Amino acid sequence: MKRSLCLLLLLAAPAFAQHDHASAPATGTEAALPASRPASPRWTSQPLLLPARGPRGERAAALLRPEGIAATHVTVYAPEGPSERLKVEYPVGPEGARIEAAAPKIGNYHWVIAREETPDAVRVASTAWYFSNPGDSPQALLQQVKHELEIVPEPLPREHGSYRESEKWRFLVRFQGQPLANQPVMLETAFGTRSTVLTDAAGYATVLFPRDFKPAADRREGGDHGPRRVPFVLSTAKELDGRRYLTAFNSSYGEDADRDRSLGWGVAFGLVGMLAATPLLRRRNDTHGEAKNG
Amino acid sequence: MAEKTVLTLGRIRFAVQLVMLFVTVYGSVIVGTYMADKISNALPALSCAYDQMNGGYCVLIPTQHILHHRIGEALVRAQQLTFGMVLPLLMTFLTFFAFFFVIGKAFCGWVCPLGTLQEWIGKLGRRFGIGVRRFVPGDLGNVRRVRPLKWLILLGLVFVLPLATGLGVTPHSLGNPYCDICPSRVATTLLTGNTEQLALRLGDGVSFTLGAIANLLVGFTLVGALALRQPFCRICPLLAFNAVFQRLSPMRLAKPSREKCGSCHICTEACPMDIPEISQQEGRKAYHEECTLCGRCAEYCPQDGVIRLKWGPWSLFSSSRDYYKGRVQRELPDGTVKPLKFVKSAARTTHGAADA
Repeated sequence: MKRSLCLLLLLAAPAFAQHDHASAPATGTEAALPASRPASPRWTSQPLLLPARGPRGERAAALLRPEGIAATHVTVYAPEGPSERLKVEYPVGPEGARIEAAAPKIGNYHWVIAREETPDAVRVASTAWYFSNPGDSPQALLQQVKHELEIVPEPLPREHGSYRESEKWRFLVRFQGQPLANQPVMLETAFGTRSTVLTDAAGYATVLFPRDFKPAADRREGGDHGPRRVPFVLSTAKELDGRRYLTAFNSSYGEDADRDRSLGWGVAFGLVGMLAATPLLRRRNDTHGEAKNG
Repeated sequence: MAEKTVLTLGRIRFAVQLVMLFVTVYGSVIVGTYMADKISNALPALSCAYDQMNGGYCVLIPTQHILHHRIGEALVRAQQLTFGMVLPLLMTFLTFFAFFFVIGKAFCGWVCPLGTLQEWIGKLGRRFGIGVRRFVPGDLGNVRRVRPLKWLILLGLVFVLPLATGLGVTPHSLGNPYCDICPSRVATTLLTGNTEQLALRLGDGVSFTLGAIANLLVGFTLVGALALRQPFCRICPLLAFNAVFQRLSPMRLAKPSREKCGSCHICTEACPMDIPEISQQEGRKAYHEECTLCGRCAEYCPQDGVIRLKWGPWSLFSSSRDYYKGRVQRELPDGTVKPLKFVKSAARTTHGAADA
């Protein structure tokens, strides 16, 4: 019996992780791709990795387009998989970089960076891409030091969750693997909001996502279902030994759920349900002995 | 006067339910934030994926998603239905069964957060002297009338509509219709202080209607559970889902023979699901599809060894007259206990079962 249980658990192991529902953050604006350093979108001058539309239904691949950064390739870090697949470089083509999960059946968050390096500066665009297949938790992936100056989400939104208006999320800022205290981090959103927060003594910046969504004629611009999403970027910079390090982390945030939901209606229907149940509370006249089995 | 504390099956179950309510509603503080850290996404209990703090997911949500996003969409792309498309669904079922194999339908009676909430509300009702209502002739009618509902909900809302949505037959808002009407989604997220799932989505008639049904069910369940034991469990599709596999788990209810059964029907009276078969039948028929393996029938059976909770060949709990005598001293079979003192005594004091 015990052996049967172990066998069942082993067989079922791949499905123990998350199931497929690509509701994790995805960014949204699209622009032309110039030859050298692609132009930034109008709402920010920071380097970005923005998703472009790939083939529909392809769950183990995605198309990401560097913007505002001259990168010849993007680097993808996987949460698990064969050692040669844990860090893979993909060339940037005219449409962007077509990245893949570490294996067709390995999903969850993958970390993606594009890097531009000169003697005076290092510019990094980073984002997290969610492949909807099951995969290891991104905890270890986030702890791994991947470049000099990093903005690390702590945590990333999990499935059925996302960054949203009016929510506070924490981001760790590290330099050469060490937390940076009192480091300014700038938030820019596609709706034009700008704000700057300082990291605390442990290196965490607590970012309040602004309630800046505008009424949209074209709802669902972030995808074919779910709440609207627009891009944001967090950026920070530091100079050391005459070299300037600039790192950006971009993703998307969604509308506050309150915008298209009514708590009043919800409570009202809940109360109606309660009212409907109140006749059950009336006492019966019979005794238990009379109410026997059907 | 300090009453001597006795370790009963009911108290053990209460402790397990307390722990599992924490795990299924707030468990991320133990197991971790991300889905990959969760106990599973195929738990045989209504542990809601919309609860951002939970420790594991209910099997019904991946079932709906796979039918909607994978199988339905794959069929619509006119591709051959390959093993690769069906594999995720098979893996979900296999994962579910890996858990289900261990304690079977006790997931309903011991683990499910909504089951626990309903039971505790019922206890509160008993404490305040609210009489139990039952699905029996002479009260709410024959329990057999409500039984098919859970199968219809399982078939229609968990299987057919998600697949039809994936095929493009029904609107996208019918992609996971069971979750949309599930009262556990609303109740467990409210327990984390999140009112988002209670609020109804506007601008989409289908979503609004499904959400309204969920809230009606929540309201009805929360108040109805004061008098009617486990009101939602009676139509829960997960109970039906678990019932499909109940013979495959070593965990089961056993009443091998009626020879020593006194036909007192106290077991049915103690059963939170009002299952008459436990007192009327024997063998396989006594372990009914409605059973949640809570064990109350075995606790309240006054005959030695007639009803048992078994795992494989091992008897985990067996009915006994001595245990029964002690049990009814503290709580009558229908759950009636001494009402709180500041409430005018309203509990029925006449109870034939206590004299059995």
